Amino acid sequence: MSEPAPPAIELRGASRWYGNVVAVNDVSFDVGPGVTGLLGPNGAGKSTILHMAAGFLRPSAGEVRILGEPAWRNPRIYRRLGLVPEREAVYGFLTGREFVELAARLHRLPDPAAAAERAIALVGMEAAASRPCGTYSKGMKQRIKIAAALVHDPQVLILDEPFNGADPRQRLHLMDLFRQMAAEGRAILYSSHILEEVERLADTVLVIVAGRLAASGDYRQIRALMTDRPHAFTVRSSDDRALAARLLAEPAISGIAFEDGRLEVRASGLLAAARALPAAAREAGVTLYEVRPTDESLESVFSYLVRR
Amino acid sequence: MNPDVARLTARTLLGQRRTILVVLLALLPVGIALLYRFAAPADADPERFAARALLGGIVTSTILPLVTLIFATGAFGQDIEDGTAVYLLATPVPRRDIVLARFAVAWAASLAVLVPSAVLAGVIVLGGGGPGIVTGFAAGLAAGSFVYAAAFTWLSIATSRALVAGLLYVFLWEGTLSGLFSGIRFLSIRQYATGIAGAFFDLPASVFQPRLEPAPAAVLAALVAGLMLLLAVRRLQRWEVGEAG
Repeated sequence: MSEPAPPAIELRGASRWYGNVVAVNDVSFDVGPGVTGLLGPNGAGKSTILHMAAGFLRPSAGEVRILGEPAWRNPRIYRRLGLVPEREAVYGFLTGREFVELAARLHRLPDPAAAAERAIALVGMEAAASRPCGTYSKGMKQRIKIAAALVHDPQVLILDEPFNGADPRQRLHLMDLFRQMAAEGRAILYSSHILEEVERLADTVLVIVAGRLAASGDYRQIRALMTDRPHAFTVRSSDDRALAARLLAEPAISGIAFEDGRLEVRASGLLAAARALPAAAREAGVTLYEVRPTDESLESVFSYLVRR
Repeated sequence: MNPDVARLTARTLLGQRRTILVVLLALLPVGIALLYRFAAPADADPERFAARALLGGIVTSTILPLVTLIFATGAFGQDIEDGTAVYLLATPVPRRDIVLARFAVAWAASLAVLVPSAVLAGVIVLGGGGPGIVTGFAAGLAAGSFVYAAAFTWLSIATSRALVAGLLYVFLWEGTLSGLFSGIRFLSIRQYATGIAGAFFDLPASVFQPRLEPAPAAVLAALVAGLMLLLAVRRLQRWEVGEAG
């Protein structure tokens, strides 16, 4: 019987600390074919995890493997791995074409020029490929970096905040490209601190908070965890007191308060609140002017996931 | 050595503003030589001036290490600092080949500006006299820049303050401390260069007296350069991205 194929990216109890500061703490996960989003607030440890996976940081403890091979001090992995770093810097004096072709040559591809043209076309940079990278916008630099990372047709692609600086059209184009690559059986791991970017692209989500893996799985499950958590709203209506009295009878509403004259409502979940608030307003004959979530920041969602 | 890395490094150096500064610095001996030629007193000794003050003095003690330091840190330090090094390192190219290519370009660039300038300056001062002095210093500069380039390549990978560390080595260690402690000559690249230069000519000790004999100077130069390149390769093999987030 043949051995099962090793995961594209594998972390086993991986930790990384700098002196007394723990950046990543005992993180374990497998990444297989498809698109996996690494979601977390800034400073959560996403880049540290990606750098460990890409062989650019030694894990202080635990193991990090790419397609079954150790990532650290093993340049062989780059034959099958493409990396798009977050930092914007590229060789400003090289044209986009030269930059991608250089990557192709360094990978010893048989026809570097043709490989470069293919990769440039994938990211839609044909028109600007003859210009020096130093003249590119942030989004263009991002795309040429992606072309350089794709030039050797890697099985695994690691991208650190790949949509930074891309305009909405470029973003959709890149998302289509990643989906297509995933459909061809490649494993793509990318980081983002923007929930929507992960939700729209990733099949699987890894949520990182304060250096730990807070949640992982299908994005719909993660999304459900995020929406089913307690939510708080500030409500403005034609008669806040009448509305408050009616809301007290709603089982989905767990708390009512007046703070600085504003009605604060706590609900057990987002969907429950979305149903209860308009229903209560209608029954009380009150007009709702504004319903504003008070703790919808990504950090509050993350901190909820961590507390669970 | 990887030719693509070498080409990239050469273009990096050519595109830097500091390269213009280096070329101007390297032309300084020619200017000094011309001044000497036209303004020196009638009883001046050209051999003494060339061996002691110009080629054995300002060129070997200041211009040689500065030019090599600027080229070596320009070849490696900058892309480690701005993160572009990742594009070279995230490839299957062995790190040893990357180090050797960058070192070779830094050395070649240093040779290209140092040797012609020193030879021209020597010829202007000596006017065809002083057999062996120009050849000797050309050889000394070639060997010296080889060892300096290796040492500063290692420094560029090992520390983000390679320029400062290099200046401290050149001016504090070699410039000041070596005058106080004679043992330092064994760990002074400047003394290797001067010792090797001394193999090519014979001047009275009052005019020119290297602190190392040619043979030990050559052996030490080869050993130190080899060690520095080995350290540079090992350091790059363990190089980590210097940021967390």
